[in-house]
Amino acid sequence: MGEEEKFDAIIIGAGPAGTACAYILAREGKSVLVIERGISAGSKNLTGGRLYTYALELVEPGLHAEAPLERKVVREQIMMLGANGALTIDYLDYDFKQEVPQSYSILRAPFDEWFAAKAEEQGAMVAPGILVEDLIIRDNKVVGVKAGEDEMYADVVIAADGINSFMAQKAGLRSDLTGHMVGVGVKEVIELPPDVIQNRFNLATDEGTARMIIGCTEGIQGGGFLYTNKDSVSLGIVFSPEAAAKQGKSIHEIHQNFKMHPAIYPLIGDGNTVEYGAHLVPESGWRDVPPKLYRDGFLVTGDAAGFCINTGTILRGIDLAIVSGVAAARAVMKAADSTAVGPAYVKELEQLGLIPTMKMFAGWPDIVAIPRMAETYPRLANEVLRFMFTVDGHVPEKMPKAMRAIVKRHVSMSQLISDGWKGVTSV
Amino acid sequence: MLNIIACYKWVLDEQDIKINPGNLALDTSRAKRKISEYDRNAIEEAVIQAGECGATVASLTFGDSTAKQSLKDALSRGPEKAYWVNDNAAQTADGFVTANVLAAALRKIDKYDIILCGEGSADSYGQQVGPRIGALLGIPAITFVSELKIEGTKVIATRKIGDCTEVATAEFPVVVTLLPEINKPRIPSLKQVLGAAKKPVTEWKASDLGLGAEDLSPVNKIKEIKGFVMSRKNVLYKEGTPAEKVAGLVASLTKEGVL
Repeated sequence: MGEEEKFDAIIIGAGPAGTACAYILAREGKSVLVIERGISAGSKNLTGGRLYTYALELVEPGLHAEAPLERKVVREQIMMLGANGALTIDYLDYDFKQEVPQSYSILRAPFDEWFAAKAEEQGAMVAPGILVEDLIIRDNKVVGVKAGEDEMYADVVIAADGINSFMAQKAGLRSDLTGHMVGVGVKEVIELPPDVIQNRFNLATDEGTARMIIGCTEGIQGGGFLYTNKDSVSLGIVFSPEAAAKQGKSIHEIHQNFKMHPAIYPLIGDGNTVEYGAHLVPESGWRDVPPKLYRDGFLVTGDAAGFCINTGTILRGIDLAIVSGVAAARAVMKAADSTAVGPAYVKELEQLGLIPTMKMFAGWPDIVAIPRMAETYPRLANEVLRFMFTVDGHVPEKMPKAMRAIVKRHVSMSQLISDGWKGVTSV
Repeated sequence: MLNIIACYKWVLDEQDIKINPGNLALDTSRAKRKISEYDRNAIEEAVIQAGECGATVASLTFGDSTAKQSLKDALSRGPEKAYWVNDNAAQTADGFVTANVLAAALRKIDKYDIILCGEGSADSYGQQVGPRIGALLGIPAITFVSELKIEGTKVIATRKIGDCTEVATAEFPVVVTLLPEINKPRIPSLKQVLGAAKKPVTEWKASDLGLGAEDLSPVNKIKEIKGFVMSRKNVLYKEGTPAEKVAGLVASLTKEGVL
């Protein structure tokens, strides 16, 4: 192999994990090649999401100020849909707008493109439009990658190729995805004028809302999300493909009914759909993170490693991806030789808090997976409120009796106890 | 050695252009750019021909500063070097201006035997630039070419004209404009993409080529660009027997003057 064909690091995938890693390594003077399958960074990405800025600060302090971000999230909302209404918890916090902002809504296509260009400015080489087909493994060490006829070598290969990581599979660190490990996400970006968004969501010019929604998946385990961007709204649902298949419902149908719900439609009415797509979403948190995150000459980061947290109130993935990219870069910089990179990577993930945080939320997917979370409980909550707000001239039932009756209509006592127990033990 | 120059235009990707449904104005604010599809055929053909006869291939483009991005893409497709006339005049250029600039650049390059262009550009498809370059340089131009052969000091080109083909030959130097069926442009490989970053690029301003304001003023002045929306009648024939439905359709088509 020729001298010019060997890099210090080859990174597969120009998403947040790969780019964060490339940025730091290039800045520190390493020769870095980022290989991206899409025709440009971000072109294969569908996330309508939010970025917690602390992660970008780890890459380079002040970097978030230049990033193409949409709106600062100041309203955190949880919405429970009833059959013909909704209960929304709206938490407004202006401390979220202080000097270190907590999070922004982002559209990944422009964000990823910007981020990759930043890494290129640092000296990383980005090769878009190239599919890596295989790893080159010699003496049990990953020494490079194969793309078409070409072979390219590096001291370390870093997989940042997303949820369906063929590279982690080729390295023998992951098995093929199974249905319970992933959710199917459907997302639509709906364009609306900025002032309309501000009016509908009660926001100032640069402010945004992040909303988690339950009760919108027709009883299938899962939930919805809504983020306000500058001049669009990202609206979508994520649910278990297994459960959906059992009920014989089409993704498209469920999403359409969700959009037409009387509590959702007024938010998006008169909007113009500019993007619609489906993607897999990592769902099961820490338990499906591969037991080993490296092998000699190889690290796995971001979604490829299953780094995600769904607490029911927030979804985290992009920030964890960036943190893991930072950890990988630091490990490469610090490790004395190639065998030390893997253990150093895990140590960095511990120190940066990623592994401890994921472990803390390890049981949470069980709560999201409680079948009654998808419909029964949101409906129940709505009915309780309906009782409390109904005035029709009749003498109302006594509160405790009425409540018991409402609860009974939705769940049995044993279900309630079992779900409650599951909730307590999972947390 | 033979020198082949492949010309290309850096155009807006039509997939990203949105049409405002109200006033039919084009929104290009989010549109990315790409090498015009037909010009990819030109680059590919240059590289294929060079592979067979050992020629040197260079790419040549005229664009504003956004065309900088195109150089890596163009070079990853096989040319050994790239020429880029970087001038804002490209933003308003028509075939007249573009041909003036490219011809001036070719004179400066000095060594050219075969100049390849796409038949038209992916955006305006004026089919002007190739023949105009030929006229400006005083050399032959062969258009509508679906097959190209190089033999000694001449090209043998098969032109596709309607239902017929015509075989034309011309001595170097010659301009040839290509139809898309002539080849299938490659998807650059990893090594080609990486190699592109190391290839030399020559950048000129229009003034470096001795071009004046007159050469850079378009003769076609665009007054307006609007989206085109096909309005549909949305007639549904759902009542009655199939025969009645067909009769209804025929009656409507007759009324529209289609039949």
